[in-house]
Amino acid sequence: MTGSGLPATLLADLQDVQPPIIAGILIGACLAKLSRVLRSIGWRGGGFRGVAPPGPAERGGARRRRVPSEPAIAGGPGVRPPGAALDAGLGPTQLFPLRLRRPLAMVMCAFEMSLGLALLVTELPVGTRAGTALWAPRAATGARIAAAAFFLVAAAALVELRERRPDLGCGCFGDFSTRPAGCRSIARAALLTASALISIQSPALYLPPRGHGALLFLGIAGTELAVIAALSPEVSGALVRLGYTDACELRRLPADRTLATLRRSRQWRKHARAITTEMPVDMWRELCWRYVVFPCRQDGKNAEVVFAVQVKRRRPMVQAAVLLLTTDWPHGAPAASVPAQNQSRHEAMQLSRRV
Amino acid sequence: MVVQRGDLACCVRCAGLTAAGRLARRHLLKSAVHPPAAEPSGQAGAGAVPVAGAADAAAVPVTGAAGAGAAGGAGAAGGAGAAGADTGGGSSQPAGPAGHPGVLTGTVLDASPQIITLYSPDGERRIALPPGASVWKGRQVDPTALESGDTVVVRMVPGQRSLADRIWANAGRVTGVLIERDRESMLIDEGRTTGRQAVLIPPHVMGRLQVRFPRLEPGYLVDFIGLRGRGYLEALVPATSQPTYRAGEAPARAPARGHSPGRIAGSAIWHEHAGPADEEGVRYPALDPETACQEQPLAGPGCPRLPYLSVGSLLRVRNECTGTARALPVTGCAPTAQIFCDRCVTCGTSPRGRIADLPMAGFVAMGGDLERGCFNATVALGSLSPGSPGPGSVAAGSLSAGPASAGRR
Repeated sequence: MTGSGLPATLLADLQDVQPPIIAGILIGACLAKLSRVLRSIGWRGGGFRGVAPPGPAERGGARRRRVPSEPAIAGGPGVRPPGAALDAGLGPTQLFPLRLRRPLAMVMCAFEMSLGLALLVTELPVGTRAGTALWAPRAATGARIAAAAFFLVAAAALVELRERRPDLGCGCFGDFSTRPAGCRSIARAALLTASALISIQSPALYLPPRGHGALLFLGIAGTELAVIAALSPEVSGALVRLGYTDACELRRLPADRTLATLRRSRQWRKHARAITTEMPVDMWRELCWRYVVFPCRQDGKNAEVVFAVQVKRRRPMVQAAVLLLTTDWPHGAPAASVPAQNQSRHEAMQLSRRV
Repeated sequence: MVVQRGDLACCVRCAGLTAAGRLARRHLLKSAVHPPAAEPSGQAGAGAVPVAGAADAAAVPVTGAAGAGAAGGAGAAGGAGAAGADTGGGSSQPAGPAGHPGVLTGTVLDASPQIITLYSPDGERRIALPPGASVWKGRQVDPTALESGDTVVVRMVPGQRSLADRIWANAGRVTGVLIERDRESMLIDEGRTTGRQAVLIPPHVMGRLQVRFPRLEPGYLVDFIGLRGRGYLEALVPATSQPTYRAGEAPARAPARGHSPGRIAGSAIWHEHAGPADEEGVRYPALDPETACQEQPLAGPGCPRLPYLSVGSLLRVRNECTGTARALPVTGCAPTAQIFCDRCVTCGTSPRGRIADLPMAGFVAMGGDLERGCFNATVALGSLSPGSPGPGSVAAGSLSAGPASAGRR
């Protein structure tokens, strides 16, 4: 990174900054695609969506009773067959026959990750001998030429995609790239091709000298990132998602959590003595509320207590009301037969404590 | 609970008659814990509509308690499970035998140019055909084209009980994912509980259908209207334009800040009802997945963003083309509606997405034409109006109003 004047320094810094930026973009693109694939097969950070988490029995503990709201059918709701949505948003792979799309997408993802790592590894000095950096210039040049070729092919594929399937997103960053491939995406691929090409002759990367040199280096990196962001239609979507949470009426919340919330509430403690069954006899949802119904005894008569539990993660409200069952109660099944009062109280309180 | 008992596990039509009682009970219980708020006079006046055949109040509220100090004891309103209707400015119509105002369904016993005799659920009916009455049987035909045994849906002239305005004969519809195809027939998946439907495409229609459905390949979505035969549908009319994506590739919902609007606009479509319980309600695409409804959307994230409801929730559906509005109970999930992000252009251009799936008679009663396949619609949450006498009333609500809005997010 030495030069006789400012232009030479600028050019040297510009060359130096390219490999890490390109590597970051490649690794980020691969991770974005990977997250899409994992989500499509049900993975959600520690468990598979739609499949009930292992109960105590599976974990070696006491057998847990199935919560009524859990799917009774294998797989349950919300489970898509693995791979059902893998193809979606994979961009130019859509131009290939159906059977080739998934393998191609996987190969592309693996290639991006490998190329990103290769760019990073080959840019670092591996040691010194007599004060001279030991570096693998051929490997570094190879990785950069491969990156340039990759982005060149990507730009061409985007042009082709735009011609043949203008409705499809480029799929460059998985779920973030759902907008149809446009001029910006193509320009970004062209810019990255040029970046990879100009970095071919740059030497190993060292930390820039403190002070003026570091500021210049960071300024160049920041400017280039800003240009790439301006050419990336994904950025606006990503910024929206960063601060986005579903409104309560659109939010999925497991019934388990609703029951847990209910059993921690003051309303539950107030009515727990009268409740005669462990599990609710009915549960349904409307917008931001989930309604849970338990049979109970009220003044020696059969009744039902209905709890309204807010679908909210923090400090949900719980409301309750008790209705006596009369003979002309709409012809659903009446409340379950009432066991001995002491036993029911014991069961209910045991349940309350368990939760 | 629903799944263990199996009665509401999939939808009302699978559950049979016991489901209606359970739905009515849900409304009573909900009214107890969340008494319907008094509507502003103008809104209540416009939205309060009678519910036919509702059960009398049958539960005695004892205590009501509110965690936030809000709701108290309940005024148990009338039951639900039946549909209410108003015409939103249109003229009132006599209720048909099936509960759909101004609509009669039945089987043709005899047909002549001026009179047709139908066998309907309430017996034999003679319907006069005025000169302007139109008959659809795959296309616009002369009344004499009706034959004994044809299944018909008749829309009456407003205010008349025996004067037909429009007649649809043997109308059928298949909406779903193409599973298999050979030269003239195909197999369509309509959802987990509906089963697969066979569709025949006459050679002379194939070209016309492929203008709007160019990809008749497995995995792609189709939506055809035609003539119902024994165990198959003879596809004649494309109900929409084919989505460019496969069923599993429906576009992701765009994240949007804030709550759903009070009224959600989109398109309402129709389906062939699968039983008496299904005939009186509406299928809604976004049922709470936690209730383990078997009829989850077939695949894909869906379009548009709809708030979660359950079987039994009252939905107020309004035909934006005619102004007709009805409050209908949700009777099941519309498994394919979520993955069609199309628009309806019956009157103007609707926003993208199918928001309600009505049974055939209900669709006609709301002013829809079966051969068009959709009408521009808005939906809002209906609620039992406060203080309603025995047969309850359904008041216009809002998908973001009422107790649901308390302390949101």
